[in-house]
Amino acid sequence: MSEIVLDQVSRWYSNVVAVNDVSMTIGPGVTGLLGPNGAGKSTLIAMMSGFLAPSSGTVTLDGIPVWRHEQLYRQIGLVPEREAAYDNLTGGQFVVANAELHALADPIAAAMTAIATVEMQPAQDRKISTYSKGMKQRIKMASALVHDPAVLLLDEPFNGMDPRQRLHLIELLRRMGNEGRTVMFSSHILEEVEQVASHIEVMVAGRHAASGDFGAIRRLMTDRPNRYLIRTDDDRRLASQLIGDASCRGVIMRSDDGLDVEVVDFGRFAVVLPQLAHSAEIRLLEVKPTDESLESVFAYLVSA
Amino acid sequence: MAIQPEPEARRSVIHDIGYRKYDGIRLGEAYTWRTLYELGVKHCYGIGRAARFKVLPMMLLTIMMIPALVIVGVQVIVSDVAAQVLPYSRYSIIMQLIISVFVAVQAPALISRDLRYRLLTLYLARPLRLDTYVYARLAALATGLFILTGLPLLVLYVGTLLSGSSPASETTDLLGALGGAAILSIVLASIAAVVSATTTRRGFAIAAIITTLIVSYTVVATIQGIADERGNTEVAGYAGMFSPFTLVDGIQVSLFNTEASTPAGPPGTVGGLIFIAFAILIVLVCVGVLLWRYRKVAGR
Amino acid sequence: MTNATIIGLTVRNGLGARRTVVLVILPVILIGLAITVRALVGVDQDATIGVMVGLGLTVVLPLVALIAGTSVLAAEVDDGSIVYLLAKPISRHTIVVSKYVVALTATILFTTLPIMLAGAIMTGELRGAIGYAAGALLGAFAYSAIFLLLSAVTRHAVAAGLLYVLIWEGLLGGLLTGVRWLSVGAWSTSLADSIVTDDILTKPVSPAYAIIATLVVTVGAVWLAGDRLRSFRLTGEE
Repeated sequence: MSEIVLDQVSRWYSNVVAVNDVSMTIGPGVTGLLGPNGAGKSTLIAMMSGFLAPSSGTVTLDGIPVWRHEQLYRQIGLVPEREAAYDNLTGGQFVVANAELHALADPIAAAMTAIATVEMQPAQDRKISTYSKGMKQRIKMASALVHDPAVLLLDEPFNGMDPRQRLHLIELLRRMGNEGRTVMFSSHILEEVEQVASHIEVMVAGRHAASGDFGAIRRLMTDRPNRYLIRTDDDRRLASQLIGDASCRGVIMRSDDGLDVEVVDFGRFAVVLPQLAHSAEIRLLEVKPTDESLESVFAYLVSA
Repeated sequence: MAIQPEPEARRSVIHDIGYRKYDGIRLGEAYTWRTLYELGVKHCYGIGRAARFKVLPMMLLTIMMIPALVIVGVQVIVSDVAAQVLPYSRYSIIMQLIISVFVAVQAPALISRDLRYRLLTLYLARPLRLDTYVYARLAALATGLFILTGLPLLVLYVGTLLSGSSPASETTDLLGALGGAAILSIVLASIAAVVSATTTRRGFAIAAIITTLIVSYTVVATIQGIADERGNTEVAGYAGMFSPFTLVDGIQVSLFNTEASTPAGPPGTVGGLIFIAFAILIVLVCVGVLLWRYRKVAGR
Repeated sequence: MTNATIIGLTVRNGLGARRTVVLVILPVILIGLAITVRALVGVDQDATIGVMVGLGLTVVLPLVALIAGTSVLAAEVDDGSIVYLLAKPISRHTIVVSKYVVALTATILFTTLPIMLAGAIMTGELRGAIGYAAGALLGAFAYSAIFLLLSAVTRHAVAAGLLYVLIWEGLLGGLLTGVRWLSVGAWSTSLADSIVTDDILTKPVSPAYAIIATLVVTVGAVWLAGDRLRSFRLTGEE
């Protein structure tokens, strides 16, 4: 189990603060680092991967500071943002070279396994200069996986991928997470993070704005009303019951049946709804939060 | 915030949001060429770019002017119709290191940059032919060099006039030297442009150009020195062909009858003609290779 | 202290066709000049100095070393592909030394050997060949190390190296005598002179000092380069 711990980390360049007093713990599973461009995501990943020193605070992997500590790379796999530049090597040669640099016992076998994981076997004997962008990204992933690292850091891995490659990468990242690895990737695209990450860290303008499961974050913001879609077998009667309760602020009858309910006190609502339905003998068919997607969380955080 | 009722599905419509065709006057390729050329000349001196790109060329220009200013200052103070301390034609050879550094750094700035960032396709998406683009860049580089080599000569000229020497002979000398400076600028620009166009890495282009200029001059100077000592003026003369600075000096000697700044000028009128022909050949070959290289890059 | 994979990668990526062309042309020109001059004047001391020192040690040697020394590292630092070497549990000093070996070998191949040949041509005797080769060897060690260090320290390694060669070694080295103690060109010339002749040429510094100074600079520069790589900063974009 590998944990990256950032403790009050800040990074500034003369009078520009890129990262401002960030503390977080990244544990096993897939964590998404989310934020608009310029929020400091790349800076954060650079610090976590030992390629940038924090101006203040500490970045540690299992208690050991990452800066200037080459041996930690045994456990860390990094997929950088820029394209792989060893253009005149074949994909296979590139991954094997990376395996050799890790001083693995059997570099070729490890390389073959990694290439199989990213499904690049058919193209492994072609030069990297002939690869498409998605293929280059995958071969970079193979080179980062070849030493079976406990920690995987990816900087904007979905950049420039077409939908099919994206699905493939999502599946791969989920698998890595399920194997107990600590996977952290950055993105500014909400759908990607939503589909892969079990845990998100949100960065806005260098500050650590929120962390956790996005539904949970949403619920933390109790000053903004939640919205639910409720389908029952008697909408109008439930509507009149709900509006009588203090936890609801508004109820709208939808034209294609169902109720749009605006809730101001989620805790109370969660208790009250089944009670009301039960006492009025109304069957609840569907209760669905309508705005718990990352989009609304993100938009709310960013506009705050 | 109130809940909005769910809106009805909108009909899909394509709006004409106003992509307008331009129906006015179009200024034609000559205008494009001129703009590109002017921009190129300004970029030679970092004008129109960030401050850090102005430092080196301006510094080099200043250093280039210093000897001229010093000489003028002395002439004005002494106020004597002194014989020209430094013949105009010698100025460029003496300052060749500065000129070499200038062209080595600015040629890649004009040429390698567009290649590295693949801007060529953007340029050619305009009504601009490839050849026109190349000539514009080349002319801009040559003009930048001409400013560098010609300005000190003007300063010297003014100084000599002020200290009262005869305008007629000074003017002819100056015009001859300016002609020489022009030829030097064209030759250097052609060579530097070709070298820059072969690589996208600015650093490598700079090293290659400087290497070419310094090595060629050192080799030629060595041979000339040795041959001259042995009294072998023919060899010494012809050796001057193989470095741009000495080549142009030789041309000035034969065309404008100036004093040679090398151990030996081109032997006789035949030698002079050969020098001129060689210079023309270099420029034509370089431009040809440059065009060929660009056509390859642009995929035509 | 070296890593075979890194050496292999460096050779494949750093020394492409274009660079090799330039690296070959310079010694060829030197040898060509040596032959020409020898044909013109026979064995002559002044001519020899002009060619061997003036062109060989002062111009060809540092320029070849510059091209070789920067091509093993500068490009990778510039486009960020150095990260694939750095994100490995390998000591940075190992990385730097491996690259130094490649740069040094290329420099020696394209300077010391040709200079030895040119020296033999110009002086017609073994002592001349060995003397100039020794000077070139010394210079190769020191220059390659310095330019490797520049590549690790700045993104404008080539320009910085050129300024160093032209201004420090070229201009000032010729003008100010005090500079001799800190000029690689002076060291290599001194060593060459001390072997080639017994008397006439001014030896700027003693050969012993030249050798020690070269050792210090070489080891120091290579170590510093490794140390700088430990603090290498990978910033996302340009």
